[in-house]
Order: sequence, then structure tokens, then C-alpha cells
Amino acid sequence: MPADPGTRHPGPFFLWRHLNKLRWMTLSTVVAMLVLLPALHVYQTYVAAHAYDLLSPSERRLYDVMEGLTAPFVDDPAEALDAIKGTTWSGSFWGLKLSDPLAALSQTAAGRGVHGPLLLTALIPLVFTLLLGRFFCGWLCPATFFYELNSNLAAWLGWAGLKLGDRRLDRRIKYGVLGLGLALSAATGSVLMAAVYPPAVIGREIYYAVAAGGFGAGTVYFLATLAFDLLVARRGFCRYLCPGGALYALLGRARLVRIRRLVARCNDCAKCNAVCEFGLDPMGDRFGADCTNCAACIAICPTDAMTFVLRPTDVPDQGPGHRGRRHRGEYEIAPKPIAEGKAAA
Amino acid sequence: MAAMLAPGRARAARLRADLRYLRPPGALPEDEFLSRCIRCGQCGESCPNRCIKFFGFTNGLASLDSPYIIPRDKGCILCMKCGDVCPTGAIQPIPRAAEAILARVKMGRARVDESLCLSFQGKTCGVCYRACPLPDIAISVGHLEQPHVTDQCVGCGLCERSCIQMPQAIRIVPDHG
Repeated sequence: MPADPGTRHPGPFFLWRHLNKLRWMTLSTVVAMLVLLPALHVYQTYVAAHAYDLLSPSERRLYDVMEGLTAPFVDDPAEALDAIKGTTWSGSFWGLKLSDPLAALSQTAAGRGVHGPLLLTALIPLVFTLLLGRFFCGWLCPATFFYELNSNLAAWLGWAGLKLGDRRLDRRIKYGVLGLGLALSAATGSVLMAAVYPPAVIGREIYYAVAAGGFGAGTVYFLATLAFDLLVARRGFCRYLCPGGALYALLGRARLVRIRRLVARCNDCAKCNAVCEFGLDPMGDRFGADCTNCAACIAICPTDAMTFVLRPTDVPDQGPGHRGRRHRGEYEIAPKPIAEGKAAA
Repeated sequence: MAAMLAPGRARAARLRADLRYLRPPGALPEDEFLSRCIRCGQCGESCPNRCIKFFGFTNGLASLDSPYIIPRDKGCILCMKCGDVCPTGAIQPIPRAAEAILARVKMGRARVDESLCLSFQGKTCGVCYRACPLPDIAISVGHLEQPHVTDQCVGCGLCERSCIQMPQAIRIVPDHG
């Protein structure tokens, strides 16, 4: 029996298999911060009012919890806790203002003119997007946290025998949504993009819920996108409709950091294709503009055949994996490809 | 087009006096404000007085999620933190100094209804004068504490908030630029 060719070829750097866990921690942290910041804001106002005696029991509970969390670190909550404000749409960190590139682009459309200071706040995220592509979608977007849990729910329901939608739509729809959003923003002179872009909606809605009396209309909209994902297409909003995703896919077309398949280690098991939230085809070397570098395929690969590389394009199709039975000629017929649907081709 | 998408605003303002709203201090003129504001919500999140609220659909689609202040609920304490945190300049950064505030903040102007005001009825009140962050600049009072609003009034709304009459005798007439 010939030696297994995979063993002679080095696998990925060992930490990259654990990046998916780090990513989940990052996403959880982002969502936790979105809940924590409004709560801290409310706490700040209670501190500034010097009125602990007048607070209701539930307000006191919030005061006590927030005081317990922050007292070891800050002397003057009313001022010191101003260090971090905002959401992923736009935020400030110790005076450094950062904005979503989509926020800057939409404002440019709505204002029908370039407003320099806002564009500057989008510069750092823009550079990261050029280097990493849709990394925001996989690593930072608070909506992703809920959408991925929603995908898991869909999978459980699927095992339970409930047939849910898994349609393949045209990925180019989202570029139309981006264009339409920009056109409407320009026509109305109002940044309407903020009302349909899930991470912006979630940041605001969590703020409304914690600090401003209750959820608003945006929550209904977000629940509708969750229902769309569940009933029509897995992770469908991000794949086919998200205007932000469209912008990052365009910007990240020539991203430098990519995932590639190490064909000598691959055994064609197609777990990467099954796990890919964006319905890409890692096993067929087709990552494309929509890959978020989320590293789920690296984490699940049983033969460690996925790794990160620095190169501006995907490697062309490398053919069947060298550990696969198809490569060794044990298959007469090529295994059925789990490639992207015909609609996207 | 904006008017088309905001049919509710004019109608609602005509029908309901309580939809009289102010924009945060240092906000640009209304149309420019709406095109500049990206709805990040940081102004509300930095407001120590929690007077900044956010529109739903009540003021038309163009105003969706934009910040506003209803002075009767809570006036603005002119801390100017919202302008500092605003990433777009929809709310201009203005230093927290009387001169700068007087020169650049124009949320509206207070107006006294003398038929409602207690002081004008001979019952000395003066609550609005004492609530004013710019006393003797924005409001001066007569012998019986009758308030007289000057052109210097920036429209923070603390007088309307504090007025003990209902309906209130002093109100802010919003200035949306």
C-alpha cells in the first residue's frame, strides 16, 4: 500500500484551526458590548443625578451591577465611561472615531457631497477590508452572531425532519440592493441605508431596548431577516441581500489574506462545503469575493487541508484531493459536486 | 422627494402640538442635518441627561431613528457632549463655554404666553428664570418676576421643563434652520 501522501505535506499553522473559536468569542464580545454600553450609559446618568435613593428596585439593580463591573477600573464613571461609545456602525474608542465604510458611503450619497471627517473615520476599517475582504461579516458583525445561531437552529430543525428553505439565489442581488440603497439615500437626502443594514439596526435596537424604553420598528425588520434566512435561504440575507456585504465583497475582491486548500492533504470529504455559511465551495477552490475568512472550514477539516495564505487571488482549481479515493482511482465516477448552484454560475 | 417620504411631519405638526421637537444643540439646519446624520445613536448614548430620544415613523421616513428633544419631557443641559461624539458633524462640536454656546447654538427660542404665566397675573413665580442656564442673558425678569426672553435664548428648553403651569406658559418655538 502506498504511503499516505498527505502526511508528507505540512498542514496549517496549528493555531489557525482554533481561529473559529476565537471568532465566536469576538462575535460574543461585540454583542455583549452592545448590551453593556447602553447599560453603562444609563448607569452614568444615575451617577450624574446623585439620586440613588430615588431609583426603583430594578434601576438600583442595574446601578449595583454596573458599579460592581466598573468600580475597580474607574474613579469618575460620569466622565471615564465616555471612553467607549457607539456601535459597529460608528463608534468612538478613547477619542478614536471609527465608522463603517458603508456609513461613510451612504452619507456621501445622502449629502450628495464628500464630508471629509466622516470618511477619515472609515479609513482604518477600509484598509482592513481591502486586506481581509468581508472579514467584518464573519468576525465583527453583531447580526452574524444571531444569523449563525439561526443557521444552527435551521440545522437542528432539519435533523428533526422539518424541511426548511435552502434556495440558491443570485449573489449579485446584493449589489443591486447596495445601489438601490445609495440611490434612495441620495434621492431623499436621508441616510436610509441605516434602516436596512442589520448591524446598524441591531446596535440601535439594543440601545433602544436597554436605555430608551423598548425595542423599535428595526427589531421587527431584523426578525423578518431571520425568518428569511430560516425559511428561504440559509444565511440568505448576508449572501444575497446585504448592502454592506456587497460593498465589502467589492472592496475585498483582491484581498491579500485568503484561505486556500492544500490539495495534497485534502480527502474530498466536503465538510468544508457543508459548514460554509456563505455556501462557497472551498473543496473546489472557489472562495471568491464572499469569503469572510471566518475559518470555519479550517476548523472542521479532518485532514488539516485548509490554511491561510497571502495572495491577491484564489488558486485555480487544483482538482480532487490527493488523499481522496477519487484521486487514487478508486472511484469510477467523480463524486457529485456540492458546488454553488446553477443560479450563481 | 423628502417631502413625499415625510408626509406625516407637516400634518402631525399641525394636528399635534406635542410633536414640537428640538434637534440636539449645535445641529445643522434640518435638511442638512438629515443628510448628515448616520443614525449611529451616539448622541443619545453620551447624553448625561437622557433628554435625546429617537424618532420612529412618527415624523416621516426621512426622520427615522434621528435624535430629537421634547423640552417638556426633558430639556437640554447644554453639556455639549453630543457634538463631541458625533462622527459626522450633523451635531457640530461646540466648546462648553457661554460665548461659544450663545454664538452657535440655536435650537429654538422660548416664548411666554402672558395670559398663562403666573407672574404676569401678579403671582410672583420666576421658576423659568431660575431654571435658565443663561439667566439675565436669555431671560430677564421684571419686578414681579415676569420673564422676558431675549434674542440670546438658545432654546435649551429647561424653562419649559420647569414651568409649573399646565399647559405651560413658556414654550420653546423650535428653530430648525
